[in-house]
Amino acid sequence: MTEQEWLDYALAKMHNGQWFGWKKDWTGEHRMSYENIIVHDSSITKPTEAEVNAKIQELKDAETARENLKASAKAKLIAGQPLTEEEADTIVL
Amino acid sequence: MAIIKPNNNTISAITALPFNAGISMADQWRWTASFTGNAQPITSNWERNDTSFDKIGTGMTESSGIFTFPETGIYIVNTGTIFQLDSNSSYNAIVIRLSTAGGPNNSPIAYGYAHISRVASSTTYSQAVTEAMFDVTNITNFKVAISVSHHDTNTTTKGNSTSNENFTTFTRLGDT
Repeated sequence: MTEQEWLDYALAKMHNGQWFGWKKDWTGEHRMSYENIIVHDSSITKPTEAEVNAKIQELKDAETARENLKASAKAKLIAGQPLTEEEADTIVL
Repeated sequence: MAIIKPNNNTISAITALPFNAGISMADQWRWTASFTGNAQPITSNWERNDTSFDKIGTGMTESSGIFTFPETGIYIVNTGTIFQLDSNSSYNAIVIRLSTAGGPNNSPIAYGYAHISRVASSTTYSQAVTEAMFDVTNITNFKVAISVSHHDTNTTTKGNSTSNENFTTFTRLGDT
């Protein structure tokens, strides 16, 4: 994913529903950027840039962790070793 | 064009007849931001495609996710979207909903389904598309909306402001 797609995905994962969008009269290089976020849901406060970046990193880390778990599961299967439940989930689920 | 010949077999008049000059209305819309969970219908972030796009004819009118037709006629509506999830979801549906009575109530007239079965422990994508063809006999009462629903409501429905990760295309094929 591009950095713009990570931003969009992270925002979508912060709350359910169509709570955010992008300004139509956007500024800067990209429409899909932090400065152009608009919040549709009055019950939700626009997250800080730091909060958004933290969410992006959380999602990236989770992706890496799942890949590492699967690699670990494969190695253990080949070696005939028992898998943890998390490792098994990466194969079975 | 008709050539009219009376009994003496001479040409007395040449009359132009109406003919179909091609598609008179085609338009394409998309939602510009992703969202997670169900949306019945999708109400926000709609924009007319603005990436090297131009509509034919008047185009559709959109308000809070409800689309109004510019004129009566036979229309085909095509819609589709990408779904994204880092788990499994047995169904992810996109639905074309049609109202023929002008009010908020509408009925599903076309479904597209796609499942997500996580691949290689990674975030996985799928795409559902569907289409419907119908006769718009009254532009006041006929309205279209698009909705999505999921088995796993952690599923994200993709949006993008510069490329079609989703699309809804309206084409007028001919007269009612």
